[in-house]
Amino acid sequence: MSTLRAVQISKAFGAVAVLDRIDLTVQPGETYALLGPSGCGKSTLLRVMAGFEPADEGRVELAGRVVTRPSPERGMVAQAGTLFPWLPLRDNLAFGPREAGRSDVDEVVAELLQATGLADFADALPRQLSGGMQQRAAIAQVLANGPPVLLLDEPFGALDAQTRLRMHEWLRSVLAARETTTLLVTHDVDEALLLADRLGLLSARPARVVEEIPVPFGGARGRHTLSDPAFVRMKAQILDRVLVA
Amino acid sequence: MPLLTDLARLTQAERGDLPTSPARSQGRRRWRRALGVVVPLLLLGAWAMISGLGWISPGLLPAPWTVTEAGRDFFFGERRTTLAGVVAFDGAGWGHVGASIFRCLVSFALAVVVGISVGLALGLSRWVADLFDPVINALRAVPLYAWLPISLIWFGIGEGAARALIFIGALWPVLIATADSVSRVPRGYIETARMLGTPRHRLWRRVYVPSALPEIVTGLRLSLTLAWMCVIVGELTGTSTGVGAMMNAARETGRIDEIVVGMFVFAVVGYLADLVLRGLTRRWVSWADT
Repeated sequence: MSTLRAVQISKAFGAVAVLDRIDLTVQPGETYALLGPSGCGKSTLLRVMAGFEPADEGRVELAGRVVTRPSPERGMVAQAGTLFPWLPLRDNLAFGPREAGRSDVDEVVAELLQATGLADFADALPRQLSGGMQQRAAIAQVLANGPPVLLLDEPFGALDAQTRLRMHEWLRSVLAARETTTLLVTHDVDEALLLADRLGLLSARPARVVEEIPVPFGGARGRHTLSDPAFVRMKAQILDRVLVA
Repeated sequence: MPLLTDLARLTQAERGDLPTSPARSQGRRRWRRALGVVVPLLLLGAWAMISGLGWISPGLLPAPWTVTEAGRDFFFGERRTTLAGVVAFDGAGWGHVGASIFRCLVSFALAVVVGISVGLALGLSRWVADLFDPVINALRAVPLYAWLPISLIWFGIGEGAARALIFIGALWPVLIATADSVSRVPRGYIETARMLGTPRHRLWRRVYVPSALPEIVTGLRLSLTLAWMCVIVGELTGTSTGVGAMMNAARETGRIDEIVVGMFVFAVVGYLADLVLRGLTRRWVSWADT
């Protein structure tokens, strides 16, 4: 299990400052959700953490090591999905393990197909899957490498509300079972409260972490949690803070 | 932690969101393909009517039955001995078609190897693209006929010049399609592959080529069509075999029916060649079907 840290990360695109000395720490096995106003730089921060964008200042540390490039140990899933459209689902899931030269590729793929409920679709192309299936498959593709860290950029943002709720329940159980350190970027407060152990609120651009809030709902969360009065109260408070950030 | 969502029920519910079944799409495709014979049959009927009513001189356009007879003689007529350098017609059809196809395929194959290699280099490296783009764009603007004199000087009258001209004609579509499609591979695919552990030197094989393949195949189809069209230009350089050589000889003797036979042969073989290439490459590009 690995601690993921952003240390004083700043980033600008030309004259536009996007990130301003961001500090955050995601504890081993923890799910940390970043919430913030639209366009504040949440996705940019995640891309820096993944190694897709260099930071102008600061560094990303994983288990105390400075990391700079994309790597199988930090798997990232974006809203648009990351499946290769020319590969059947089975080969998409096998992509990472094959690159790593693993000998148990078939076993890994079979386990992930079961875990995603997609065993009947192993030979289907991504375009033949529904949106929810594609996003589960994209997460499974990344999990196939057994990454200690998962970076999720609004992974269910394109799904309808019902499918999204089912995906939240599924992902929460998957993350808990694997004890994966997870950094989630979202603008959906429900999603953040259902999935995260802790929230970080970002300011408007240039983004800074203005507040960190522990999420008190432990254990299994799902559709029943949405009507919990404590959940409803907390959601309203967080929405207030995000809207004034 | 218990799984709150029943995966079996979830997947069952999602089946309703799946795209249209392939079986229905295929049925529609077959029906649309069958429609493709309607226009040729109508054109043939109109041609027969115009000829039968005498609305057009046989010296300008011979009747379909005259062309059919010439076609029968071309492929199944009695083969006659001809003087060296004289292009045979009766019974020489298969030989001419074979010579043209062979000439076309040799040059096409070379154009594919060169076009894909250079296209990959241009698409993968901004430096290479900046260096060579102006030269390539200028060269491909040179009309094929402008290459004819220099081809004759460099490769001599006949086979060498013919193959060179077909190669030049076939080169550009596959080269440009490869370079363009590879340079436009979505960044997300590259990032995903890098994140999943693909080293940079393997990206071209694991991501760039598979992602660009549908457009490369379109380039291949255009190249093959152009190669086949360029056969007639190549065979004007003095070859004694080939459909183009036969048509050139027919023009000199005023046999318009033989010219039309040659045109039909070009059309049919070109169409069949495209069908074969599409069939051979369908498996590689079916993922991009909509």
